[in-house]
Amino acid sequence: MLGILDLLGTIGGNILSLPGILGLALGMMTRNWLVAAAMGGLVGVFETVVFAGFHASEIGYFDLAVAVLVGVLAGSLGCAIRHRGATA
Amino acid sequence: MKDPNDKPKRGLIGRLWNGFWSPVSAFSVGFIVIAGFLGGVLFWGAFNWSMELTNTEEFCVSCHTMETNLGEYRETIHYNNHSGVRAICSDCHVPHEWQHKVKAKIIAVKDVYHEIMGTISTPEKYEAHRLEMASQVWRKMKASDSRECRNCHSFEYMDFTIQENRAAAEHQRAIDENMTCIDCHQGIAHALPPGHLEEYKRIVDEIQAENAPLSPKTDDVAAIQSYVGKLSK
Repeated sequence: MLGILDLLGTIGGNILSLPGILGLALGMMTRNWLVAAAMGGLVGVFETVVFAGFHASEIGYFDLAVAVLVGVLAGSLGCAIRHRGATA
Repeated sequence: MKDPNDKPKRGLIGRLWNGFWSPVSAFSVGFIVIAGFLGGVLFWGAFNWSMELTNTEEFCVSCHTMETNLGEYRETIHYNNHSGVRAICSDCHVPHEWQHKVKAKIIAVKDVYHEIMGTISTPEKYEAHRLEMASQVWRKMKASDSRECRNCHSFEYMDFTIQENRAAAEHQRAIDENMTCIDCHQGIAHALPPGHLEEYKRIVDEIQAENAPLSPKTDDVAAIQSYVGKLSK
């Protein structure tokens, strides 16, 4: 049970952190789905590296994978909002 | 006769959805930006305030199941001491860093579940689960290098000359051997369950195994020297 909660906690933490918020904001700046997803993913990588204090040995690959996934999804959601909510 | 231009009337949710995504002509961009900024500040302030509310001692001990560990904590130096500086529940159990804090709050949902289910609602049940609960906390602290302890305590600023001899020697050993706070201070705030030493050793072994390289080097120096010797002949 703790394993699932650990996963949900990591996802929640990322949604309310840089990948979720900045990824969404960056995704809203473009109509190109790939660019939006890539920017979100990059935010996920950036955040994990910053949180690891720029030490490669401190990077947790599970955390990195979740951060990138949340970033990609947030970027894509931002792009969808741009498509739906902007007339120009 | 029915007008062919008549569209079926949408429900409330449908109309709200349409309105939400329709462009606004009544407001300027500046108005929307300022209103969005103010709304964001208000929302974030309220969210953060609510989260901090769940970090208070009153909130933590408002559950019936927290009575036992509250009583134990009140006997310790973290509750009552000569300086009046205290560490409350959240200081040891909730990380300060935002992302780790959100994760801890989501994981804490299990505490609400067990409060409702009465998993540790009697002293007998509590004792039956004490080792398991302690084990989870020790594992987290060992894995994070006692991050929450280090929010207040730091080896760099410890004056060993005013510590008891034994404490000073042990802290020096901890620095030399790269140990972490929880390696020694397992029962610092709550009573230790029987078998805690064996359980802690198991946790340390597991964490070491998880962090071990996937393909450890097995070549020894003698084998390499022998191989090089054969090549040079």
